Amino acid sequence: MIRIISSIILLLTLHACKIPDPIIPNEDEVITTLTYKLTPLTGGSEINLQFNDPDGIGGAPPVISGGNLAPNTTYKGVMELINEQLHPPYNITSEIEKEALDHQFFFENENGLLLNIMYDDTDANGHPVGLNTILKTTTASTGTLKITLRHQPDKSAAEVKGGNISNAGGETDIEVEFPIHVN
Amino acid sequence: MSIKNIYITLAFISFQSIAFSQSCLWTLKGRITDESTSEPLEFATVFITELQRGDAADENGNFAIKNICPGNYHLQISHIGCEGQQLYIKMRRDTLLQIALHHHTEILNEVSIHGTHDQSTVQTLQSISKDDILKNASKNLSDILEKLSGVSVLKNGSGISKPIINGMYGNRITILNNGLVQAGQQWGNDHAPEIDPFLSDHISVIKGCASLAYGGNGLGSIVMIENSPIEEDPHLHGLVNYVYQTNGRGHTFNAKMQQFNDQLSWKIAGTLKKSGDTHAPDYYLSNTGKNEWNLGVQVHKKFSPEWSTDLQASSFNTNIGILRGSHIGNVTDLEQALTREEPFFTTDQFTYHIQAPRQEVNHELIKIENKWQKNDRLIFQFNYGGQLNNRKEYDVRRGDRSTIPALSLKQFSHFFEALMHKEYSHENHLKSGIQFNITTNKNNPGTGTLPLIPDYISARTGSYLILEGLNNKINYEAGVRMDYNHLYAPTISRTYPRTIEKYTHDFFNINLAGGAKYNISEDFKIALNTGYVVRSPEINELYSNGLHQGVSGIEEGNPDLKKEKSFKTILSNELKVNTKFYLQAQLYYQHIRDYIYLKPEKELRLTVRGAFPVYTYNQTNANLSGLDLQASYEPSNHLKWIVKYSYLNGRDSKNQQGLIYMPANTVSNQIQYDFTEGKVFKNTNISFTYKNVFRQNNIDLSQDFLPPPDGYSLANLELNTNINSRVKCTISVENLFNTRYRDYLDRLRYFADEIGRNVGIRLAYSF
Repeated sequence: MIRIISSIILLLTLHACKIPDPIIPNEDEVITTLTYKLTPLTGGSEINLQFNDPDGIGGAPPVISGGNLAPNTTYKGVMELINEQLHPPYNITSEIEKEALDHQFFFENENGLLLNIMYDDTDANGHPVGLNTILKTTTASTGTLKITLRHQPDKSAAEVKGGNISNAGGETDIEVEFPIHVN
Repeated sequence: MSIKNIYITLAFISFQSIAFSQSCLWTLKGRITDESTSEPLEFATVFITELQRGDAADENGNFAIKNICPGNYHLQISHIGCEGQQLYIKMRRDTLLQIALHHHTEILNEVSIHGTHDQSTVQTLQSISKDDILKNASKNLSDILEKLSGVSVLKNGSGISKPIINGMYGNRITILNNGLVQAGQQWGNDHAPEIDPFLSDHISVIKGCASLAYGGNGLGSIVMIENSPIEEDPHLHGLVNYVYQTNGRGHTFNAKMQQFNDQLSWKIAGTLKKSGDTHAPDYYLSNTGKNEWNLGVQVHKKFSPEWSTDLQASSFNTNIGILRGSHIGNVTDLEQALTREEPFFTTDQFTYHIQAPRQEVNHELIKIENKWQKNDRLIFQFNYGGQLNNRKEYDVRRGDRSTIPALSLKQFSHFFEALMHKEYSHENHLKSGIQFNITTNKNNPGTGTLPLIPDYISARTGSYLILEGLNNKINYEAGVRMDYNHLYAPTISRTYPRTIEKYTHDFFNINLAGGAKYNISEDFKIALNTGYVVRSPEINELYSNGLHQGVSGIEEGNPDLKKEKSFKTILSNELKVNTKFYLQAQLYYQHIRDYIYLKPEKELRLTVRGAFPVYTYNQTNANLSGLDLQASYEPSNHLKWIVKYSYLNGRDSKNQQGLIYMPANTVSNQIQYDFTEGKVFKNTNISFTYKNVFRQNNIDLSQDFLPPPDGYSLANLELNTNINSRVKCTISVENLFNTRYRDYLDRLRYFADEIGRNVGIRLAYSF
């Protein structure tokens, strides 16, 4: 009997015991927006390939916008990474610039796309980073462009300098795909 | 083989009619038997240190040492192949000693006779000897337990491991640290129990159906870590133990000291460990070092003949590196790692340096046990246990964030209990208790990540009643436990902008268990245990949410989970065919309704890091059936052959597939040779163990990234000797043939081979 009564008392006190609300963390590492800005060298309007996912991993699915490129054209490509969850939005591109030795972007044609992308920047060791690139289109094609950012890759491994991801290793920080039409 | 424990009934009888107080006329007589089999132990010796003389037991186990003066003496008791042990006695008259040595460590005990927590007689208990704890002081708790049949280990590399008993692990088993349910974040598969085996004196496993007397949330089986009461010896005693291991160049240093006093008795123990990168047969496992320091204190105070208080406190502190090549960003990385012979980031340089990814864990425990013994038949206990668990996990991150933990949790747990133990007649007991436990878990701010596990507070109130008895040849036991669990979890939304979403859960559970043991004869015993146990879903099963770095999957909790209901039956028998051949077997069947597991979903979730598979906590029905077998054959006093076999089949009966993370079947053979006692080298033996782990064939390809690895065989060699009675020496070789293998229960099987040959040297000095 005593046992039952004491249990009831404990239960009643329990319902009163709560803990304070958690502090919502600032996820400063999250990349919510990746924009690959393509500007034709010969002039003309800028094309933005964009991946946008303001709530990060969970929640709503990301919005991906691909683009239409002109054939036989050379574009200057600039990568921009933003965390829109912070106010004001936090520029992650500069973090990559600071740690250029530990980062490299890779660009791969998939599903029949024919693009030629060359690095237009280097880190302190003379290895490419990929924040600045030159993109050349040739004949008309359609497919997807896969952009990957590797953290701590082996930049000296065979063919990595030329943009071949196979031997790069490291961890993937970004892996996004854009539908592209060249016509 | 060693003396695992030794219990003595001191009976003082006068068999000489005239006593002269100061004359050296007293005789120490006694009988030495095997605790498991009650066989007399011929040639066992009793040696009085102060007098430098002793006697050996005859074929009936009897010994006698005559002409002893009144005084206090240290006795050394030993038997071929058993570990020598000290005993302290006060000789005031002729004295008769009954000594039971644990000669068969491979045999299960019926009762735990050590420690303060007496166990039921109908369940089977399997122990690790005190000497085995010392020999393996460099290892984790789980790796020591793996020696027992039916116990496997779930690993995250060689540094992080947790025990699996008959297919159950994590929250489904109860780990008792000196009678206190080990708190800490036991939900994580990559979280090892924060216990240093060296700080305790006894480690044992009960493969049971229900743990009614303990407030955990387990489904029956128990790992017990216990300190023995401080030996009643007024002198300062202790030991130092040092282990060096070639693989990882690991150093382990342990020390223990104790002293008994009528006023206040104390014991103190400590451990220091340091090891660097371990080595697989072909390459270094980069970043697998470990630093650890632990300290334990035990104090016993007797206030009056009725009242006594025991205080135990311990501190566990570790910093463990996790294989660098197992830290991956997404599924592409995982797929690439799977195709590699050697993990990424493997260096050919040995280092003690530990970098991210790594875990820093600190666990503090205090227990105060107050015992009031009203009379021989009625005992009350009022206990408090407090635990603090501080866990920090560091990932490889951008910027300087690798020095900021990606996960930082602090858990406080308070436990109160009031227990009553009443003896009605000689063999009938009633045990009951009420228990209250409150746990809070907080994510420390400043990690810069959304927490994988939300903050929560959980409160459990429980009470139990157990009846035990002996009726003619049958021991029986029956009991009931009721629990009320309350859980409150304020979670952070995954949609943006972030909001706080609050959830509460209440669970009321009733557990029932019963068992009987039929002692058909001294040589043949058979026991049946059965239990119905309910487990409430844990916080990770309800609310975990986020990316699990190690396996590149998004894990999502399910707030709608129901309770798990387990029904388990164990049939066990012990058979002594003759004095040379023993056989023990446990056959079990467990049905779990609404078994909680991580189910891979069909959808892939697209993120900036690529597409990830999603796993959600789901429920199904599970059936587990298995057999554990151990047999020993002793063709001569010098030679012994021990066989252990474990079989387990775990099925998901709803989806008609195997259950994941079920141990594969294993068989192990051990041959031990005990040398004749030398002049200097005593208790010398050599043993060779060959263990086969079969392939886990019950898993479909669709349930995992890779098919389970092939089975493997490992050989171990061990040489032990004592140099006089103070110094013990062990040389061991694990993975003798440097076999290259991967284990299904190791999460790092996707990335790297297990560690290769490891030579260990151990020296211990006791005083």
